[in-house]
Amino acid sequence: MNALRLIIKELLYRKISSLIILFTVIIASAVSVGIYSLSKASENETRKIMREQGLNLYIFPKGTNLIDFYSANNTPCFPENYIHVLAESKTFDAVRHLTGILQVKYPDWKDHNGSSHQILLVGYKDEAMQRFLPEQEIMGTDVVKGTVQVGALVARNIPEGAQFTITGNDGRQYSFDIARRLGEGKGMIDQGVAFNLADLQMLLGMEGKINKIEALGCVCKDGRINNSRKQVQAIFADLEVTEISSIADARENQRLMMNKYGAFIIPFIIISCLLITGFLFYQNINARKYEIGLLKALGNSTGSILMMILAKAFILGLAGAVTGFFAGTLVAEYFGKEIFLFTATSIKPLWNLFWYSLLIFPVLWMLSSWIPALIASQTDAAKVLAEEY
Amino acid sequence: MIELRDITKIYTRGSVTFTALKDISFNINKGDYCTVVGSSGAGKSTLLNIIAGLVHPDSGNIYYNRSDIYQQKAGDLNNYRRKRLGFVFQQFYLMPYLTVAENIRLACHNKQHAGKLYFYLEKFSLSGMGNKYPSELSVGEKQRTAFIRAIISEPEMLLADEPAGNLDPGNRSVLMNLIGEYHKNGGTVILVTHDPSMSEHSNISITLEKGMIQNNTMRVPSTQK
Repeated sequence: MNALRLIIKELLYRKISSLIILFTVIIASAVSVGIYSLSKASENETRKIMREQGLNLYIFPKGTNLIDFYSANNTPCFPENYIHVLAESKTFDAVRHLTGILQVKYPDWKDHNGSSHQILLVGYKDEAMQRFLPEQEIMGTDVVKGTVQVGALVARNIPEGAQFTITGNDGRQYSFDIARRLGEGKGMIDQGVAFNLADLQMLLGMEGKINKIEALGCVCKDGRINNSRKQVQAIFADLEVTEISSIADARENQRLMMNKYGAFIIPFIIISCLLITGFLFYQNINARKYEIGLLKALGNSTGSILMMILAKAFILGLAGAVTGFFAGTLVAEYFGKEIFLFTATSIKPLWNLFWYSLLIFPVLWMLSSWIPALIASQTDAAKVLAEEY
Repeated sequence: MIELRDITKIYTRGSVTFTALKDISFNINKGDYCTVVGSSGAGKSTLLNIIAGLVHPDSGNIYYNRSDIYQQKAGDLNNYRRKRLGFVFQQFYLMPYLTVAENIRLACHNKQHAGKLYFYLEKFSLSGMGNKYPSELSVGEKQRTAFIRAIISEPEMLLADEPAGNLDPGNRSVLMNLIGEYHKNGGTVILVTHDPSMSEHSNISITLEKGMIQNNTMRVPSTQK
């Protein structure tokens, strides 16, 4: 008789025990998938929120006083191509999203009424590609060449539809299309104008120069700033790294929050479910000792009986993993939409997790049935068949 | 066919030892009908299980066609049970979640065997019951199902452990006739029982007491009567 048919018929006969085991897999799989999906959603949400807050690492020429960025316009500069050197380094992996910036005070910008204002000019270079590291979504500010983005306070002094006009270092007037009028509350840029780096360098006669790199530090074992600083200074000893810790801490805490809960809850649930399953399999084996004894008497090998029990665990593990995946994803979508404002619509089934579930849960449930299966395979047929009911 | 030489089996539970069989020797030839009679605890089931390859004796040898079955590899011993032996138990041991036909198919090793299923069901008055579950059968029907399972793969030897222990006189008579018919067709039977009257069809009757042979009677094979 077909072994699979025998397993299925036994599964259906002992419905309650089979359903409880199936339920344990579904719970374990759904909780794991649900928490993991919410954790990913939380990371995406954090990334979105933090993008609004900006990058957390500033890289300057050594000796720069940070206050000078906001009070003076002659802070030390360094070559723009430093960024390419950093991005091309295979060992430079503690810092991502490298964005070259030239930031200066412009003390005498004349608005349309001829009034004079001190404003901030910030030139952004396109984010550097670190081709030896996995590709990531662009985080920095991208300003298209020939256009500007004006801060909220500056925008009040420019009529709708008008261009932004400014006098260059060479005394000539330069005009730029306004691609975007930024909202209030963007920090220093509220009173400034964002340029494409090349445009600002040309305007100020500072071609090939930048005075800051903004970037994102990794979450490293030996601390964000230490590792980043070590890697930067190993390549350019004349650069210094400073961290905007509030942004970094917020990012790290948010990112780790779900992982922290997941790291406790997922193993706890899985281990509990495995223990319940192991116990149920043990009970199942006890209830079936006459059947197993008979199969041995009919000439079935120890290995085939072992495989029969493991195959049952595999089938339940597989069915539970599939059901649990969709249940977990549904739960994550339901709660995710309530929790996450920005990324609510982007919570979707993680299909790579589906394939992992199909592998992990059947194997785990086979392991949980391993000891009962061994006991079953070692059943003394003579002894159990000689026992009275 | 089967030769037992100085078989001894001792069970130990804690500090207590129990000698189930002591220096048992006898031969059974192809076509013999051997009844092992003894009271409870005499060692008859242990003897049957040793012949079945399910219990290792502590000493002695058991030869099947001159080959010591306990010197064989595990796979060969499984094959010996699967292809050479058929079992009938007092408790029937039918799988409750399999139908009559499926229970019988457990012992089928090829399509030829499976092809005879409905022939046997009809022969043993079980036609139309192939799709019934054991819980729907009478005691006699269960035992006949178990008997078909034992003989469907055409084993050379039928081992029966108190096969009529749970049957009423009518069903008992039917079963004994079925075993007798298997024997008449050339099968070898080893039947253990506590009931001396069941040895009437046999040509060898062994009486066991406290693990030792008290009496070994050779008679003219019933098929030659």
